[in-house]
Amino acid sequence: MREVRKFKPSTVIVHLLLIILVLINLFPLYWMVTFSLKNNDEILGYSYVDEATGEKVLVPPNHVGLPQNWEWNNYNKAMNTGNMGQYFINSLAVSTSVIAITVIASFMATYALTRLVWKGRKMMNKFFMLGLTIPIHAAIVPVFTILSKMKLLNTYAALIVPYSAFSLSMGILISIGFMGDIPYDLDEAAFLDGCGVWKIFFRVIAPLMMPAIATVGIYTFLQCWNELLFATIFVSSGKYRTLPVGVQQLFGQYTTDWGPIGAALTIATLPTMIVYALLSKRIQDSFIAGAVKG
Amino acid sequence: MKKLVALVLAACLLLGITSALAEAEKPTLTLWCIATESDANRPAYEKAIPEIEEALGVKIEWEAFENDSYKTKIKSTSAEELPDIFFTWAGAFCGDFATAGKVYCLDEAYAEYADALPDVMTKNATYDGKRYAVPLTMNIVAMFANMDILAEVGYDKVPQTYEELIDCCDKLVAAGKIPFGCSGNATWCVTEYLEPIILKTIGYEALGDIFAGKGTWNDPAIATAVDNFQDMIIKGYFDPDGLTLDNDTVKANFIAGKYAFYQNGTWNCGEVAAAGDNFQVALFPVMDAEKATYGQVIGGPADSLAVSAAGKDPALAAKVAFALGKKICQYSFIDAGSGLPAWTPDYDTSAVNYLTTAVSDMVAAADGMVLFGDTAMSADPANIYLSYVAKVYGCEIDGAGFVEALTNELQ
Amino acid sequence: MKRTFSYKLNIFLFLLPALILFIGILIAPIIMSAYYSFHEFNLVANTDMEYVGLENYRILFSSMLTNPNTGKLYANSMYLGDALAHSLILAALSTFIQLPLALIIALKLSKGIRGERTYLSIFFMPVLISTVIIGRLWMNIYDPGQAGLLNAGLRALGIDQWLFPAISKGITSSKLPFTGQWTGFRETALIAAFIPILWQYVGYHMLLMYAGIKGVPADLLEAAQLDGCTEGQVNRYIIIPYIKPILKVCVIFAVTGSLKSFDLIYALMKDTSRAELPSTLMYKLLFLHQRYGLGSTVAVVLIILCFLFAMLISLAFRDKGAKVA
Repeated sequence: MREVRKFKPSTVIVHLLLIILVLINLFPLYWMVTFSLKNNDEILGYSYVDEATGEKVLVPPNHVGLPQNWEWNNYNKAMNTGNMGQYFINSLAVSTSVIAITVIASFMATYALTRLVWKGRKMMNKFFMLGLTIPIHAAIVPVFTILSKMKLLNTYAALIVPYSAFSLSMGILISIGFMGDIPYDLDEAAFLDGCGVWKIFFRVIAPLMMPAIATVGIYTFLQCWNELLFATIFVSSGKYRTLPVGVQQLFGQYTTDWGPIGAALTIATLPTMIVYALLSKRIQDSFIAGAVKG
Repeated sequence: MKKLVALVLAACLLLGITSALAEAEKPTLTLWCIATESDANRPAYEKAIPEIEEALGVKIEWEAFENDSYKTKIKSTSAEELPDIFFTWAGAFCGDFATAGKVYCLDEAYAEYADALPDVMTKNATYDGKRYAVPLTMNIVAMFANMDILAEVGYDKVPQTYEELIDCCDKLVAAGKIPFGCSGNATWCVTEYLEPIILKTIGYEALGDIFAGKGTWNDPAIATAVDNFQDMIIKGYFDPDGLTLDNDTVKANFIAGKYAFYQNGTWNCGEVAAAGDNFQVALFPVMDAEKATYGQVIGGPADSLAVSAAGKDPALAAKVAFALGKKICQYSFIDAGSGLPAWTPDYDTSAVNYLTTAVSDMVAAADGMVLFGDTAMSADPANIYLSYVAKVYGCEIDGAGFVEALTNELQ
Repeated sequence: MKRTFSYKLNIFLFLLPALILFIGILIAPIIMSAYYSFHEFNLVANTDMEYVGLENYRILFSSMLTNPNTGKLYANSMYLGDALAHSLILAALSTFIQLPLALIIALKLSKGIRGERTYLSIFFMPVLISTVIIGRLWMNIYDPGQAGLLNAGLRALGIDQWLFPAISKGITSSKLPFTGQWTGFRETALIAAFIPILWQYVGYHMLLMYAGIKGVPADLLEAAQLDGCTEGQVNRYIIIPYIKPILKVCVIFAVTGSLKSFDLIYALMKDTSRAELPSTLMYKLLFLHQRYGLGSTVAVVLIILCFLFAMLISLAFRDKGAKVA
């Protein structure tokens, strides 16, 4: 498409509308950061008696402005309650493991589904796609029973195993798109060189699937990073608690103190936002690749 | 050089191992409770735990959870994952654990403490003649009143009769004051209003039977009581924002002087008393003098510690639970003012705040007690009951609807 | 060569990791849930399974029936009917408001507007924020007290004067007047809960559609422009039919996502009953009521609904496709 950049009134209107949408998206974040640095007096408003006149003076709450007194102490409080650093590392460990398992399992399954010749592979593909519509939460009681029988409750595995299982369908869907782009000639050439299917998979196919890792990774990450219900029920010890549960618990600690709540919200949001700011183009590209290939 | 590095590393390793061993000698126990940062009992736990660790040579790893989420968390934790010691409410809440065989019987450990802990205080957590929980404090529902606000409408004492209370509320509303604050976000807070009103309409024996599953909800007097409560809401006696506020905010509002009354558990005494000497405690007035008396109260020893049966060393945990319970009880009573002692005090009680002292007298003079409804009933009926209580506060159903629904579903 | 590629053991081994996970954690639980739904038991107390037949289904569905004696709905605190109705409303809002909005933005952005990438990044951002955090953030926005952002804004603009009484008139579920307690009434709680859910995922769908539009072959678009098509016509007759597969995926995700959503409502309200969805109802029955059989029955209903809708949507898209072609 040719890019014609001429001044048109309609373009201005489009930009105006888009900017309004941008504000709608950014304002809650701005608000969160500012109230994380305010004290309750500033957030709720307060009154005092003027000594000179003896009259009661009402100070309205400061909703949208920058903080008057920057309460960095809120961050100390939020950091000291619970163990946000540990929770963050737990979330990271769980997500990374889930991504690794999902990538390996779905690449292998995809290879069998697309490159190996057997009856019923279409059926098997459809079978795996059932997972796209199964609501993860509906499985909570049976999964609880299974994990408890296997003595896996209250370990990283209690989250890694179910998250991987529920990411699998999406992983296979995306991998099929990517693997379809790899020419079949390569398999044949490798076969003629004397490679077996395993060698072909590991030496030829897997290296060419590298771009798919990022895409499967993004979709898997979105599914498990924020998951709350399983993480609440399957893990009870603080040692393995993930970030969403930790944050949720912190809200229970400071119900009336708005500042530390804001600080906790900010702490929990910031790392993802920083990574996103640095890698937004790559993240979006990988995400987009999933949409096109899937 | 390499040797030196290796030596240093080995020394470090050795040091690490020995210190780990020294640490390992101390048994570690885990404890879950609801004493969050904003909880009145927090200081008592913070003070008692290190003392017990020192005295009994154990290490206690403890964690606090928010009240409502704690209830689901503790109930959905499998036996093996339960912490060694955990906070529980006596009554059917703890009874569910006992019937499931998840909590350790405390009779043996109790023997050592029988002198300090009256048997009657363990009654609410005794099932089939066996004790399963260490009570901490006992609390009742009381009506806290801000006397400065009452004085503005000409009341120098808390209204003692229902007519007086209504008159007082009308005057408060006319003067632009909000009589009551009640959190609708936490349904148990609504029961702190509704249960005393039902109690003062039908009497403690009838209400106790209903909670125990022996009586029937199908009583027009209950419908009347609910309607009276709802009238108060519709007439604007309650802060309308309360519908979506949480309890801590409502309490803070009351302490800040936004409401004239706040009816809630007496564990709030210390916090309220610390805010000034302009508060008083009273009971909700009698609504039907034929069936109820002023001295009947909702409450009892409910806050307790239980010991997991699947823990590494339940006998040790039981010992720690009793020692800890005694200390927490003491500090809750003396320092935090967050309840009356379930244990007989063997210390100077002159520092107790003026509101807790007043509650003490009320309990001594009480005519009859009914345990909090959601604690007295087991999980399923308790939650069905709470869901309708929430609808009453939201004015979605009236007294007749409340009675009909509970009769259908709980009987 | 064929033999190597169709050697049964190899096929099996390649599928094995995926099959173990998939059958062990997805398929087995569905079957187990179905089995549980005919029983009542307490998972945590390790009580024996008690066979109750269709009792759980009767309890849940009787809340959707009218009692012929009283002419009112059967008294029932389970309200599966409400939960289902709410999730259908959410699914409809998501399909007819969220997706069109995402499509409009995607169409605009994909045409090489200045700052395309920046807009894209910002719109996609909420997807990455934890739902728990969004829930809590909106809880603060809806706060009825002094600190609540929404009410403060309405008060500052003076809108509350006529808006609140108007909302009060619209509230039929309660006798109380509305004074800004957004999550306190059935009607407003539903809207209050749905706005952040819809808001969070606009960017997700937008990016999917954007990707689809970028995939439309350039010569197709140029040919249309040479034929004198307007932008609207290009969108209507070329782009949208071309990205139909992606639209289908979006609709399936939006609808099943609505049926699944849990986190936000759970984080936004302590008492979820005013905006109950099947998943929050299930949670309540399992972990508050300790009725594991009844909770599993809701899970079964949820799974059936998700499959049903996924199939219906696929059919709908297939039909339309056939007509166009």
